[in-house]
Amino acid sequence: MVTVTIDGREVQVAEGTNLVEAARKAGIDIPTYCYHPGLSVVGQCRICFVEVEGAPRLVTACSTPVNDGMVVHTASDRVREARAAVMEFLLENHPLDCPVCDQAGECMLQDYSFEHGLDTTHMVDERRRYPGMERRLIGPHVVQNQNRCIHCTRCIRFTREISETSDLAMMKRGNHAYIDTFDGEPLDNPWSACVADVCPVGALTVKEFRFRARVWHLEETPSVCYGCSIGCAIEVGHHKGVVHRFRPRHNPEINGWWMCDHGRFLAEELNGRDVDRPLLRTGAGEAAATSWDAALQWFVEKACRDGGPRVVASANLTNEALFLVKRIFQDELGARVVVPVDPGEPRKIKNAHGQWVESADAHPNASGARLMGLHLVDGRELEAFLGEGGGPVLVVDAGAHPWLGTEEAARTVSGQTVGAIAMVHTPLTRQAAAVLPSASWIETEGTVTSSTGRVQLIRRGLWPGGESRPVWEILTLLARRLEVDLGLPTPVTPRRIFEELTARVPGFAGMTYRRFTTEPGIPVIEEVADVG
Amino acid sequence: MKPILLRARGEENSRSINTYLRLGGYAALKRALIMDPADVREEVKNSGLRGRGGAGFPAGVKWGFVPQSTTRPRYLICNADESEPGTFKDREIIHTEPHMLLEGIIIASYAIGANTAYIYIRGEFWTEAEILERAIAEACRKKYLGKDILRTGFDIDIHVHRGAGAYICGEETALIESIEGKRGQPRLKPPFPAVVGLFGCPTVVNNVETLACVPHIIEHGAEWFAGIGRDVRNSGPKLYGVSGHVEKPGVYELPMGTTFREIIYEHAGGIRGGKKLKAFIPGGSSCPVLPADRVDIPADFDSVAEAGSMLGSGGIIVMDETVDMVWALENLLTFYAHESCGQCTPCREGSDWALDIVRRIRAGHGQPRDLEALERISRHASQGMTICPLGDAFCGPIASFLKHFRHEFEDYIARAEPLPPKKLPVLPVRSDRGPFGI
Repeated sequence: MVTVTIDGREVQVAEGTNLVEAARKAGIDIPTYCYHPGLSVVGQCRICFVEVEGAPRLVTACSTPVNDGMVVHTASDRVREARAAVMEFLLENHPLDCPVCDQAGECMLQDYSFEHGLDTTHMVDERRRYPGMERRLIGPHVVQNQNRCIHCTRCIRFTREISETSDLAMMKRGNHAYIDTFDGEPLDNPWSACVADVCPVGALTVKEFRFRARVWHLEETPSVCYGCSIGCAIEVGHHKGVVHRFRPRHNPEINGWWMCDHGRFLAEELNGRDVDRPLLRTGAGEAAATSWDAALQWFVEKACRDGGPRVVASANLTNEALFLVKRIFQDELGARVVVPVDPGEPRKIKNAHGQWVESADAHPNASGARLMGLHLVDGRELEAFLGEGGGPVLVVDAGAHPWLGTEEAARTVSGQTVGAIAMVHTPLTRQAAAVLPSASWIETEGTVTSSTGRVQLIRRGLWPGGESRPVWEILTLLARRLEVDLGLPTPVTPRRIFEELTARVPGFAGMTYRRFTTEPGIPVIEEVADVG
Repeated sequence: MKPILLRARGEENSRSINTYLRLGGYAALKRALIMDPADVREEVKNSGLRGRGGAGFPAGVKWGFVPQSTTRPRYLICNADESEPGTFKDREIIHTEPHMLLEGIIIASYAIGANTAYIYIRGEFWTEAEILERAIAEACRKKYLGKDILRTGFDIDIHVHRGAGAYICGEETALIESIEGKRGQPRLKPPFPAVVGLFGCPTVVNNVETLACVPHIIEHGAEWFAGIGRDVRNSGPKLYGVSGHVEKPGVYELPMGTTFREIIYEHAGGIRGGKKLKAFIPGGSSCPVLPADRVDIPADFDSVAEAGSMLGSGGIIVMDETVDMVWALENLLTFYAHESCGQCTPCREGSDWALDIVRRIRAGHGQPRDLEALERISRHASQGMTICPLGDAFCGPIASFLKHFRHEFEDYIARAEPLPPKKLPVLPVRSDRGPFGI
């Protein structure tokens, strides 16, 4: 550890830390464009100039490591003048089209211009233009506007160092240099939309999010991606009850600063609710909307009698919901519970240490189910489980497995008594006797366990749509009607269920909700994790 | 002074190894190889030899920065990427006696412990690259290059690497990137190439003329070399390339510290057509311009620095009284705006912006605020505001042209016609509808 003094504040940082990070630790923000903590340092935007006592010239904070006893000034007149000059240089050729630019609101050029720039310009000449590159689709998800580019090369370094695909390159030289895809091939890698995240200005934007919402209207809720078992930390951006985007959230141990396109574009799915009230089939025709009371009563009377139902749980549920499934059905009713797991496509993400983290399956919480001692099955076993008949079937999540959503699954259970909890209709729910609406991922709170054995918290950002309720709540209501005593204090909340879970499941011992707010995912206890 | 570096100019077959051996070539190498490498470095340091590429950094000191205890390979690079407007001395050395350069490279490699050396040569120097390739082949046959040269156990290979036409690749770290096969862009320093250079290994980059001096220093001793020139800090012979409005443009080898007056009026034959001298750029286009009244200063590193410019590469560009200085600055800026690598904001944006302004002034649309803007650019794109010295290279001319010839710019602006006023386009209004479709 070395001690540096930044603007009169002493701060202790590890040796080799650069001045940007050291200042951040001291609570001082040094402006940066080309510097990104996840990418290599190139020191070429020149906005991060600071004055180091004893150095004859200003130094770039991003490329200067701390020395013991260093005295740094980040707001001296010299520094301010240099920053204003760099801002003027950057804006000199920038189109200043903020009113029609989708980056406005989270644009570093706007922020730093306001904070460090001049209030005038000496520029009266024509601005630089790249005809034909104003709105160009350079890949399946990314739109480029080269006129706005400030040549920080973050996107290029992302494709070289993180995705390791080298899709982007700087073409030409000097003031006419521009970013282009290498050899004219599209920017098509599994993480391509991350280049829009790292772009500090509006030069690269995500096609799917463009012009959907002004970012200052968006409310962002920290969550975890449910696209696979890696569990990338994300921010869910939503406005007036509509989810607009997923954006990676920094978690050094799992996803670094990145996320894959597959996960990012699941955002749209959260708006696709089509089961918004409890449904009950009384006669032969379509299931009709009913009250929660009547629907729950059906579950108690029809689904959970004599030996209980055969339960298809889901690896897409939170630890809390899975824990209730296990307690109510497996422990108390003695029912058979399976958790279908689909291997899915292999996915990977690079963490902040430069290591690849690979997915094990296509579900966010298969590890949690395993740790709780639930029986994991693959698609074939699931088919056999549903096909063998005997007793009613309770599907806790109609989207638990891709096979469950097929016509074939509906045929397999035809003639049996099926109750389901679902957000979206599938052939199976269309013929189910009763369907309860479940809340979506952003409408529920809880924890999930990634395949690397880290438990993370997902927050609720929206109220459940329609009459839907989170699965943990549905299960507590059911438990009360079944007169199963879970030993939980009322009112029941995910936090209380989690406290009970940590007391009963050894792998989760010692975890609290409070710890999730400061730690990048809490690792489950290893020797227990290995048993599953 | 008897020419030293260009002694073979006019000799028949001066490029062949036999002529070189007849003139006493490779004797210094034999002498160096029985010396301790540290003694070779010391000898060069004592000679006061300063880098001839532009910065004037003492060559022996630079060699001393290479870590001697490293197990990694070390490299020597000869910078023959001579692309600065007004500079054409290295080409002359290669044309006259390529073996002198090779001998210098071998001795320098021995001194720093390198077994591989590269000559990074400007892409346009097609003939010169061939001359060097041929000379290397000759030297290999005579066992001055290759494994176990002259049975001393020292191995040395020299590769010629041709550039692809970028001026910036003359900057040593951009040059290293280029040899590595990457985009030629200067690296952040530190680390300096002497510690982390080519392929991440310790590397020394020296100019052609610097290396060509080395055999003479070893052969005749440091004192002899220091005796040529003004003093020990400005020692040795120097090639001055004179271009522009003189009667006899060309490369002249003179002792360091000859006055510009002597170079221009005695050796280069004076100003063409008997006109008057207006200004001269002392060391290649990146050096600040000096007005005619500074012509009596000696052309050496320290004197020129004192006068507010740089000796640079020694390429003297002479301008007579007919030159329009606004045009001259536009000409220079055109080059730098084209050659900026585009990495750092101030240089990328500033070089082109300055060119736009000067072009507009010359086109008769200058504005009073333009000179302020030019001064702002030259202040904020130089002096360490950029990664490499290209920022200084285009800001030096701007600042010096404005300092010495401001009135010419002001004259242009005073005579300027105002730019046609920009009018917003008038959008067609549909009369049958009010705003918002009401």
